[in-house]
Amino acid sequence: MTLETEVEALRKVPLFHGIDETKLRLLAFISDRTEYPAGERLCSQGEEGDCAFIILAGDADVLVHTPEGEKKVAQVSENSIVGEIAILCDVPRTATLVAANNMDVLTVSKDDFLKLLKEFPDISLEVMRTLALRLERTTRDLADARRGAAGG
Amino acid sequence: MEKSLFSFIWKYSARQQIFILMVTVLSYPVVYVLLELPKLIVNDAVQGDNFPRTILGLDFDQVPYLLLLCFAFLGLVVVSNGLKFYLNVFKGRLGERMLRRLRFELFQRVLRFQLPHFRKVSSGEIIPMITSEVEDVGGFIGEAFALPAYQGGMLVVQIGFIFMQDPLLGLAAISSYPIQGYVIPYLQKRVVILSRQRVRNIRVIADKVGESITGVAEIHANDAAAWHSADISERLYENFRIRYEIFNRKFLIKFLNNFMNQLTPFFFYLIGGYLVIEGNLSIGALLAVVAAYKDLAGPWKELLSYYQMTADVSVKYQTVVENFDPPDIHDIERLTRDEKAELSGDLKFDNVSFSGGAAGQEVMEISLTVPAGTACAIAGPDGSGRSEVLQLAAGLVSPSSGKICIGDHDLDKLTDSTLGREIAYVGGAVHVWTGTIRDNLYYGLRHRPLILPEREGEALKEYKRRVSEAKETRNPLYDIEAVWDDLEAAGADSIHTLDEKALQLLEAVGLDKDIYRLGLQSRFDPSMDDTFAGKILNVRKNLADRIVHEPALEGLVELWHPDRFNASANLADNLFFAVPADPEITMDQVPEMEEVRAFLTETGLDEKLQKVGLKIAETMLELFSNVSGDSGLLGAYSFITQDEIPEFERIVRIGKSEQQRPGLSDADRSRLRGLAFKLVPARHRLGIMTDELRDKVIAARKTFLDTVVKDNPGFVAFDPDVYLPPLTIEDNLLFGRARVDRRDARRRIDDVIRTIVEETGLRRPIIYAGFGYHVGVSGSRLSAGQRRRIALVRGLLKNAKITILDDIATGTTEDDKALRRGLQEILSGKTFLFGTSNADIAAEFDQRFVLDQGRISDKG
Repeated sequence: MTLETEVEALRKVPLFHGIDETKLRLLAFISDRTEYPAGERLCSQGEEGDCAFIILAGDADVLVHTPEGEKKVAQVSENSIVGEIAILCDVPRTATLVAANNMDVLTVSKDDFLKLLKEFPDISLEVMRTLALRLERTTRDLADARRGAAGG
Repeated sequence: MEKSLFSFIWKYSARQQIFILMVTVLSYPVVYVLLELPKLIVNDAVQGDNFPRTILGLDFDQVPYLLLLCFAFLGLVVVSNGLKFYLNVFKGRLGERMLRRLRFELFQRVLRFQLPHFRKVSSGEIIPMITSEVEDVGGFIGEAFALPAYQGGMLVVQIGFIFMQDPLLGLAAISSYPIQGYVIPYLQKRVVILSRQRVRNIRVIADKVGESITGVAEIHANDAAAWHSADISERLYENFRIRYEIFNRKFLIKFLNNFMNQLTPFFFYLIGGYLVIEGNLSIGALLAVVAAYKDLAGPWKELLSYYQMTADVSVKYQTVVENFDPPDIHDIERLTRDEKAELSGDLKFDNVSFSGGAAGQEVMEISLTVPAGTACAIAGPDGSGRSEVLQLAAGLVSPSSGKICIGDHDLDKLTDSTLGREIAYVGGAVHVWTGTIRDNLYYGLRHRPLILPEREGEALKEYKRRVSEAKETRNPLYDIEAVWDDLEAAGADSIHTLDEKALQLLEAVGLDKDIYRLGLQSRFDPSMDDTFAGKILNVRKNLADRIVHEPALEGLVELWHPDRFNASANLADNLFFAVPADPEITMDQVPEMEEVRAFLTETGLDEKLQKVGLKIAETMLELFSNVSGDSGLLGAYSFITQDEIPEFERIVRIGKSEQQRPGLSDADRSRLRGLAFKLVPARHRLGIMTDELRDKVIAARKTFLDTVVKDNPGFVAFDPDVYLPPLTIEDNLLFGRARVDRRDARRRIDDVIRTIVEETGLRRPIIYAGFGYHVGVSGSRLSAGQRRRIALVRGLLKNAKITILDDIATGTTEDDKALRRGLQEILSGKTFLFGTSNADIAAEFDQRFVLDQGRISDKG
């Protein structure tokens, strides 16, 4: 796979929706292309996060610690970005990621991503917009949940 | 040491000087006849009559007579020039020998200085004294006596000739000498004073430059470059001023001399002319006198410049030598004696006082006893006299009053041969020598050459010559190529047991891991140790097997395979698949090597690589064109730095215009090639590395190996079954590249290597290979902690009866405590003094003396 195919994949990630192609190419170039065989960990809950993962191919299980051990709570798959919270604010990883099958991942380090944001403010704007949308949705979900709880 | 230059020269070369003088005198008649013969040839052989001439009972007609005289002339020319040649070589050799003697004497005197003396002198001052300042002395020595004798003789002869013609004219000829004899030394005196100033000033400059180099980090950290620049600039101005004044005076002397010399003919013409007119002198005699006077100018000029040179060289000699004659210099015996006294018995200080010349460096009336074979802590903060007491105990400094004894021996009366072998001292400021770790570890065992190398033929002749030269110049006869390591002193019976001992001690001080890592990074010559190389190859195979079969390791490494492209390695490695045999030549330099260039051009790869480079440059420019230089993105990821962008923009512009690329210079092409070679396909996914190109590279690799690498001692081809000396041991173990597209591949594979190395017992040989690691200038490639530990091991390895550590291993962590326990154990049964500023650490020892302001304040 070359930069061009990676750019194609990045374009499908909602976070990078409105960003023009040359910048996506730059993002792809400064990221590390990594392969994970099934079963290998991408990151572990609780450790410091220094990069985000953009999944180009394959799926990863999202696991969290529970009193009964690690429990799968979700699965992320192609064209999604995970771990981006860790590179925007300094919080430990909130979950563990394990490759469910053979994966192809683009790893963006925190430093580089921040540099990119600084360099191209329109990317920041796009990221902000996406996060705001997410916040709005989460707020709405929360409100619905509360209403549901109050009603029920 | 001889205070004046002439007494030095006379003392050590009187015989040679007399010889030179005699040969010079011998050459007088030859020169005289050589001057006379042409006259004889012209006047007698060519213009003469009444032939034949009778010489030695043989009759000669005119032509044979001419032939005889001419060949006699030729013969004399050969003899006189031969003599000159011989004499010059002799003088030069004498000068060099004397210079060697002088320099060595100076160096030896430096070694004989008392330690406190080094507070007053700096290396920056001493170095130019021994090297450049005495240089002129060597050139002068051969001439010291011969020149004045020869030229003086000439002068006397010529003056005598003039006096014989006419006493009055003779007086006129020398009339200016008294004036010159008075004025010139007067002027010269001032030049001498200036020369001294100049020498001192240059020394200060050397010292300041040296200091700036040592403290360069401080200069930058404090932005003090301007201050230092101003300081040096001021000194350089001072130098200019002094030199300018010296020139002025030197040329004034020359001017006066020339003027006086030309004034004399004035008197000749005046007085001589008058005498001729009056009829008291023949015109022929006057002309002869004028001619003789002309000949006078030569020797006179030579004598004058000799006088100036003598003054100059003498002052240089004196300004150097006066620095090497401190009143308290050690006796030479202290260095040269080889007898060792046994230092067993209690260490006793008896009312010992010492002053280091500054506050906090005194020791006052201390008396203490440390029984033989016990450990004792000497505690006290810096400035309490602790370090001084320990240095006194090591015999490094002498007490100003009182006595320090070990057993029956007064330390002050012992020589280095006892002090340096029976006592191991490791002070707070350790020095690690430029060289390998092994050199540094065994430094404490290298007292004298022990086993002389066997020499034969040429080598033996060369060695004999070296020895005879050393004898001529009173240099020592120690052979630097001999084996110096005193195994017996260290308690080892072979170099292997010594290595083992060193390893044990390194483990005890916790340095073995560091040396292991250095060992992995070092190169070793398989011809020295076949089995080691074999073992490394075994590990390589073992590792390769595990990488293929163990799922956890699978895909972490891409091994070198002759038929496969290694996507984690750059294009250069992939194409050449070989390394230069000389590890100094980096991979970047390979494409510029002549045979490689020829190969690239012949196979047409050159063109292709340039295209690849052009494509990379284009992509880089496109990706990074909108990125500002200070974001740091460019430096970290691009093939190109910010500064190179305009350059590459130009190259790409020219390269893209489809013409025959006439605009690209050789340098541009080489840059493009360089870019292409840096490409690591797995990391830089630029889409340039097509399958087609990949196959081409593999095919070209085969041709390259067959045509260039084969039978070329300059290259070593990658071969899974061969140990590659130019690669580090680590690279030889892991015969491939950790995959760049696998997370933490490098770290994970390193762990595996470490376990395999442990399992196969390779750790030890690798550590021994680490002994060969070059520590850089004064150990600059080691950390401060590593340097201290190496110095500690060096001290322990000496296996001395008394070990003294000052401010070493005084950490407070658990590891440090264990280290100190280990030290006590290693040194049990030996006298052990341990200096520390920490009272808690001192409490770990059964015996303690606490120092405060130069006095013992407490003991336990």
